[in-house]
Amino acid sequence: MITRRKLLGTAAIATAATGLGAPTVRAANADTLKFASAASGPRTADPNRTTQGADNWHCAQIFEYLASPEDGDFGKQPGDFKPALATSWKTSADGKTWTFALRQGVQFHKGHGEMTADDVVHSFMRAKAGGTAVSNYANITSVKASGKYEVAVTLQNPDPMFLGSVIFTKNVMVVSKKAEEEKGDKFGTDPIGTGPYQVDSFEIQKGVFLSRHPQYWGEAGRMAKLQCLYIADSTARTLALLSGDIDMMEAVRAPGWIQQVQGRKSGLHFDMTAPGSFNTLFFNLSKPPLDRLEIRQAIAHAIDAKAIVQALTPMSRETYTLNPPNYPTGFAHDDLPAELRLDYDQAKAKALLKAGGFPNGFKINVNVSQRPDYRSQYLIIQELLRKVGIEVNLSIMDHTAYHDANRRNLNTLTINSSSLPPVPLYVYDLYAASGANMTEDGKGGQNYSHYGVLLPGVDDLLKQMLQTTSFDDYVKVGRQVELKIQRDLPMLGLPTLSYTVARGPNVDLGYEVKGGYAYWSFAKATITG
Amino acid sequence: MARYILARLLGAIPTVFLVLTLVFFAMRILPGDPAVAALGDNAQPAQLAQYRAKMGLDAPLPLQYVHFLAGLAVLDFGQSFMSDTRVSTLLLHNLPYTIELTVTAVLIGLVLGIPLGVLAATHRNRLPDDAMRIYSLIGYAIPDFYLGAILLVVFSLWLGWFPINGAGTGFWGGLYHVILPAITLALLKSAFIGRLTRASLLDVLGRDYVRTARAKGAGERRVIYRHGLRNALLPLSTGIGLSILATLSGSVAVELVFNRPGVGQLLIEAIHQRDYPVIQGGVIIFALFVVLVNLAMDIVYVFVDPRVRVQA
Repeated sequence: MITRRKLLGTAAIATAATGLGAPTVRAANADTLKFASAASGPRTADPNRTTQGADNWHCAQIFEYLASPEDGDFGKQPGDFKPALATSWKTSADGKTWTFALRQGVQFHKGHGEMTADDVVHSFMRAKAGGTAVSNYANITSVKASGKYEVAVTLQNPDPMFLGSVIFTKNVMVVSKKAEEEKGDKFGTDPIGTGPYQVDSFEIQKGVFLSRHPQYWGEAGRMAKLQCLYIADSTARTLALLSGDIDMMEAVRAPGWIQQVQGRKSGLHFDMTAPGSFNTLFFNLSKPPLDRLEIRQAIAHAIDAKAIVQALTPMSRETYTLNPPNYPTGFAHDDLPAELRLDYDQAKAKALLKAGGFPNGFKINVNVSQRPDYRSQYLIIQELLRKVGIEVNLSIMDHTAYHDANRRNLNTLTINSSSLPPVPLYVYDLYAASGANMTEDGKGGQNYSHYGVLLPGVDDLLKQMLQTTSFDDYVKVGRQVELKIQRDLPMLGLPTLSYTVARGPNVDLGYEVKGGYAYWSFAKATITG
Repeated sequence: MARYILARLLGAIPTVFLVLTLVFFAMRILPGDPAVAALGDNAQPAQLAQYRAKMGLDAPLPLQYVHFLAGLAVLDFGQSFMSDTRVSTLLLHNLPYTIELTVTAVLIGLVLGIPLGVLAATHRNRLPDDAMRIYSLIGYAIPDFYLGAILLVVFSLWLGWFPINGAGTGFWGGLYHVILPAITLALLKSAFIGRLTRASLLDVLGRDYVRTARAKGAGERRVIYRHGLRNALLPLSTGIGLSILATLSGSVAVELVFNRPGVGQLLIEAIHQRDYPVIQGGVIIFALFVVLVNLAMDIVYVFVDPRVRVQA
């Protein structure tokens, strides 16, 4: 029976709905691709000055490299790199000079003219002189134009992986020299590159809005417009994707997240890099009993990598040494000598504890980052170690404080998660060289184990690696480094965690994402329907 | 009155200065290196040293403090550690969104809360009063961010009535985007204002002059609104001031949930990144806001209650 009250109630709701008049949050727009990353707003669109990963997304659409691998992957060997702004390159016999022939007729955005060798020299020199990755270019002695369309880069030491270690790094993406000099500090919000998209507007509260570069030298971007948006809160970002408000989003790397969103919206795609982030467990050799090899081996055998992979499925993959198996110096499980396979084995872990003088286990205090990917791994490890008698007391802190504690020798079992390229020497220099030793004043590097300082390390092998001129020799020595680390066990490769992007059912990226940095090109993307 | 306002403003300077000094030193005592936060976990020692030097972070703390005060004297809050943007630019971009949210939420809170309070007071110990009590209990108990997430799922995702995120452009666009976050804050604030109105009105309705008004034959509506509510507004004005400040602090979480730009979201990000200049700038804004709201409430007090006279 319809009562007056019911009638009024229904009318009120209907009126409200009509008045608000927007039942559909977003009208489908097949010309604009909207991507949301996990940050609160853009900081800069200058690839040499980005200080947050989210800003690399728009930089990757605006700027280009001299050479790059196929879309959706890293170059794992020199042959994997294809011409981009350079059409060809050659190396001197001593491996110290790389000469690049530049593509002719490449136009910068918004009428800023043709790219020439001067722009390339400027782009490299500014990365070497200042920016967010100065150390990465320390091996460069000089960058000179040897013609209008030719550039020669001279190195201090040969580098068979130069294309991966330097050329395919964001800080040396090619910028317009003229535009940067004209715009000064404003270049960061009004950047000029050669990429398939140019910046229409840079809005610090919302994001970066781009449109197709009409004079692009290659195949034109398939979408007319791109919006690189910022939604820091993972719930808000997820709801935006589910509602169709955005087309793609940086996923939440927490256990069960993919399964949850799949349950709410069918047909979603998930693009994942493999390996994505290396997760490395550093044993702090200055903190007993971690100075004992048996104890480190016991911990390694007590950690069930498969349990971690399962908890973070499908984003996680097993790794058996420091570098993952699909990297040049990484090892597959069966390729490792039997004594270096750190398989999950509780009985073996207990025996090693006994041999190390701790038959009943021990207690250890560990600092943990509150970031979901770190926290998840630490919680699983805590539970696994408890089973062999190691009681881990976790202190959860914010991510910045966590890294500060790690860098000041205040942690014991330090996990470091980082998306590292398949450039073995870079990884070893970062984590295992004595020169990267972490110091109590916080001014040291990321060798959180003190490997090479408190325990003879791999410095000699790294020196050998630095002098190799062929990729095969480079990998050969690199694999020796990998085995030495596995034998000494100052650090342990935990399962990797893919950088993941969730994509709407109607969005086609145009290629498959297999690996690569935590950002990729949208030039081939299309929206159907 | 002008002298009174000026005196109050001048009197607030030591408070703001103290807050800023505390924030300046507290942030630097907290563990966390802005250089690592800015350059990433893999930053090399040489890069970090270069960055610290560029940002003046390698200078002794007292010298950093002097630089900070010198900048403040010319209203220069410095540059964000994380971007090339001036802090004043960041604040100017974000502040209007926070004010828009706070004002809308307080207005909705008043429009909802005062009638609910009147209803509860005039139906003491009956169903409306009980309902108001339960509503208040829920209002006090539910955190802003949780209520925001629920409203977002129901009204934006399921029903599609409101946008999922952002702040919109233009008056109508802004209004359309601010409604749901404002309601999130207002529902909780209306519970507070409702309880306050009820208590204040009940107190007033028991006074002699109200009894006299009734004895003179004044209608119940006139007694409640003319004699009762007007006098009940006095303590209510203090409550409204507190409510504005609570709404402002609540906006921090709500901005995050609804992905609205605003000083709150800016501040949260800056704290995570140890972006000292932005934190300091944000705190100045919040501190000034507190001072100004308190001052405004004192002035309102004077107008609401003619018995109160300003003594500057």
